[in-house]
Amino acid sequence: MTALAPDYADAPLPVRADLATEHARVWRSLAAPGTWLDGSQRVAVAAETRIAPACPTCKAAADALAPLPSGTLHAVTNDVLPPLWIEVIHRVRNDASRLTDRWYSSLLGRGMDPGEYIEIVSVLAHVVAVDTFTDALGWPRHALPKPLTGEPSRTLPPGAKPGLGRVPTVAPEDVSQGEADLYEGLSGANIHRALSLVPAEVWSFFALDAVMYLPDRQLRDFEHEFRAIDHAQIELVAARVSALNECYY
Amino acid sequence: MLLRASGEHAGIEHDVDGITSTAGAGHSVRDADLLLPFAEAVVRGSAAELWAARERLMAELGAAALMDTAATAAIFNAVVKVADATGIPIEAYKVDQTATARAALGIDTFGQASRPAGPIGQRPPT
Repeated sequence: MTALAPDYADAPLPVRADLATEHARVWRSLAAPGTWLDGSQRVAVAAETRIAPACPTCKAAADALAPLPSGTLHAVTNDVLPPLWIEVIHRVRNDASRLTDRWYSSLLGRGMDPGEYIEIVSVLAHVVAVDTFTDALGWPRHALPKPLTGEPSRTLPPGAKPGLGRVPTVAPEDVSQGEADLYEGLSGANIHRALSLVPAEVWSFFALDAVMYLPDRQLRDFEHEFRAIDHAQIELVAARVSALNECYY
Repeated sequence: MLLRASGEHAGIEHDVDGITSTAGAGHSVRDADLLLPFAEAVVRGSAAELWAARERLMAELGAAALMDTAATAAIFNAVVKVADATGIPIEAYKVDQTATARAALGIDTFGQASRPAGPIGQRPPT
């Protein structure tokens, strides 16, 4: 079976229309210039995200008591991206639960820009979400899009401040006019703030989250069911996947 | 935990041990015996295990339920990476509300659990 179109027009089973529309949107946005990465870099990050699980260096580290030291060269790469970016992709893709502040600080010391870091993490997360969906269904993954030309905007939200996670974030009360709808439809919980140094990635990731999981306004609307599985079933699956990933949050 | 909240709404105290172990299997949640093996296979199962869990879920619950279960598992397989990569802390009110459950489930032993809140440079390094 060849790669599916991101809109699932040729899928073996029917896919909810909003899900198909959203995955197609995500795939288009992967190819376009972002805030810190251009289209070719975003697609290269997506490609490396797919390669990373086969990395023997990461596999060996997974069985070790300690995570990989900073600066470890990874054995399987597409050789398009800087080693520092490849390190980020492999560590986040393969050993995220053991990332440390010290490791993140070492990235900054070696020249990583916090905005780049957030956009790399976000592109990775988008690709993991869509790929895990097709993998779960036993379907081929979507072919990566061809990059579009254009320059990233390289702008930081003026309200971003350190103090929550490793990377500066924008608190709901610090949202400025330029990104006034940053948390529209969202509670502004810590997880919503995680990517807020790059507001476009918050919008994009939580638009995807709303169709794959539930929109925030439906999370506690236990009077109604919105999916083919009910609230409790959704939360059981969500919690089990989080636990298997050893995610504290 | 929204699983607990949904149970409270329905007047059910859900088993939460199925979250960290398949032994308890969360039987208070309908079809947990189909959902948990599928979720586990999505994250770390072999191709054969995933195929078997998917076929069973599809046969018992249908295509729409399979789609929504796959979508839920997939987005949480991604959102955990956002949380861990950014070191975002759990909200203080959730820490208090879930302290007992987290301790019982062993969640406090997960790697990021030892990360203190606050910006780098103003707390002990991890």
